[in-house]
Amino acid sequence: MEIYHLDDLSLLQQHLLAQYQLYQVVKNDDKQCSWQQQTKERNEPLIAELPQSSAKDFFFAEHENLLIFNGEYFQETLPTPAPFVLFGILSCDLTAISYQDQFFKDDPYYQARRQQCLLVGLDCIKPCQQGFCPTVDAGPGVREHTADIILHPLENHQWLLISTNDKGTEAIKGLSLKTCHWHFLTQRDLTLHQCEQEFTDDSDITQAIDKLNNGEVSDSFWQQLAVQCLGCSGCTTLCPTCSCYGTRSITDESEDKKVITQQRFWDSCLYEGFQREASFHNPSAEAGKRVQRFWQHKFGNEFFAEFNRHGCVGCGRCEQTCPGVIGVHSVMKRINNNA
Amino acid sequence: MLSHIPDAIELVDYIDDGEQARHYQFRLVNINKPSEKNTNNNTAKHHWQDAQPGQFFMLNVPSIGEAAFTFTEPPNEQGEFRALIRQMGKLTTTLFTLPKGDILGARGPFGRGWPLEKINKKNIIIIAGGCGLAPLVNLIDSLIDNLTASQQLVLIYGAQNKQAQLLTTERERWQQHIKIYNSLDEINDQYTLVENESQGTPLDIVDIALATFIKPATTALLCGPEIMMNSAAKKLVDNGIASDDIFLAIERRMHCAIGLCGHCYLNERYVCKNGPTFSWQELQ
Repeated sequence: MEIYHLDDLSLLQQHLLAQYQLYQVVKNDDKQCSWQQQTKERNEPLIAELPQSSAKDFFFAEHENLLIFNGEYFQETLPTPAPFVLFGILSCDLTAISYQDQFFKDDPYYQARRQQCLLVGLDCIKPCQQGFCPTVDAGPGVREHTADIILHPLENHQWLLISTNDKGTEAIKGLSLKTCHWHFLTQRDLTLHQCEQEFTDDSDITQAIDKLNNGEVSDSFWQQLAVQCLGCSGCTTLCPTCSCYGTRSITDESEDKKVITQQRFWDSCLYEGFQREASFHNPSAEAGKRVQRFWQHKFGNEFFAEFNRHGCVGCGRCEQTCPGVIGVHSVMKRINNNA
Repeated sequence: MLSHIPDAIELVDYIDDGEQARHYQFRLVNINKPSEKNTNNNTAKHHWQDAQPGQFFMLNVPSIGEAAFTFTEPPNEQGEFRALIRQMGKLTTTLFTLPKGDILGARGPFGRGWPLEKINKKNIIIIAGGCGLAPLVNLIDSLIDNLTASQQLVLIYGAQNKQAQLLTTERERWQQHIKIYNSLDEINDQYTLVENESQGTPLDIVDIALATFIKPATTALLCGPEIMMNSAAKKLVDNGIASDDIFLAIERRMHCAIGLCGHCYLNERYVCKNGPTFSWQELQ
């Protein structure tokens, strides 16, 4: 780990723009935040705000081609993205990428994109509205193993820059930076600790996780809860760790040849037909079972054992987007009160 | 890295069996073994010769997509293999219209097949329903070939009616060596039941079949509708067969077969990767 002092953030942005396509979270006119590509000419200020969509689309594309069939054989269609940097990505989303890295470790399409990416994390020093990252060990400070470079805001628009690995060190090579005294790391810890204290009480969530894992949540509770699930896939689309997908074939027929492309696209385990078979046998025909499985996947001990952490990173996007009021805070509160 | 890419296969032949079901014979177009150095289009991408009884493959019908099917005969040295396929949804309906000689795709073998080491030389009761007999064909053949003097194998096969019965030729062949009970859910008034045939479900015959064993059955293999398998497993436990000696082949919709797409979940497991064969103990 190397620690530096950065006086002017734009120097780092310009330096990285010379090597990478740079994406950064930008607030739009409608006050929504989203990932947008930056140019040398146009650099938005860095903001520690959660974008509406996570960064998962950069690696696990919303839809992408897997292969083509030319009538004789099948050919892989791997993506070939240019090197890119996600500049100022927050700890919850970084934790989700680290989780997806494990899940997709042997998937060539995910890895083709992931290998091209430099992750520059940004510490949160103020809690966000729906977030509860400290409860699920995903923030507010960037976890070292999840980013190549970490940025921590200091006073007077100064920054602490931490390079966590060789990839980070290589990326800042040639940039004139002052080495920092280690006591800045202590200051960072204190600031992050202070930030953690400012998060609202999360006991509903921790207690509900225990109830969930102790088998204290009844089938009838899930059925009742599922009445409010519209099966809209808002939560699974925005959840940075959700990874279910479907596949489809697209035939392109021109005068003299026919090419068939097979694609994969984001799917949702909350759709009624997600597990329905050709025979119409459907193991998860009941909405309650689907909702239960979704939350079990996020907080169940069985999955914790596999990934060494919960499947939820505490970003709160499901709460924000759910039209039926069964996002994470609502569900966990109801588990505590009624299950 | 996991491969999402099928190997090209030729639809060699098919013969009808029962109602809207066919035995398909396929042949891998390229049977050279895959290697890291040689990954061109003339090389198979999958390790076909490693196929074990109860494993499955993904059949790619170009323009439609992929679905999971089990081998009734695993790939031989010439790359030929067979599968019993029932016409059910869009993919199989399209498959049934394709002529011999068409090029399709296949990936596999996938999953955990029947636990051969736990089955070997045991007294085994097999309960299968409908198409559920397909993943057992290859295994029953090899069990019969290696049957010892003290070992007994009994099969209960259930079908909805006489027309829906599958694998008649195979069952007639097996009948020379092992005891087989056939159950039919529905029979019409004119129909006369033949020997070892009864009206009802396989569950109705479990007690009779278990009584056939000179030394008690110690292992059970189940494949068919999940509700039938679950009831059968409970009944077998009640009859003294240990839950870790009862094996069920579970069917689920699949899009990838490599543990990624999520469709085939069964609690915290994926049927494609952790199954399709599970012990009853694992499913509790």
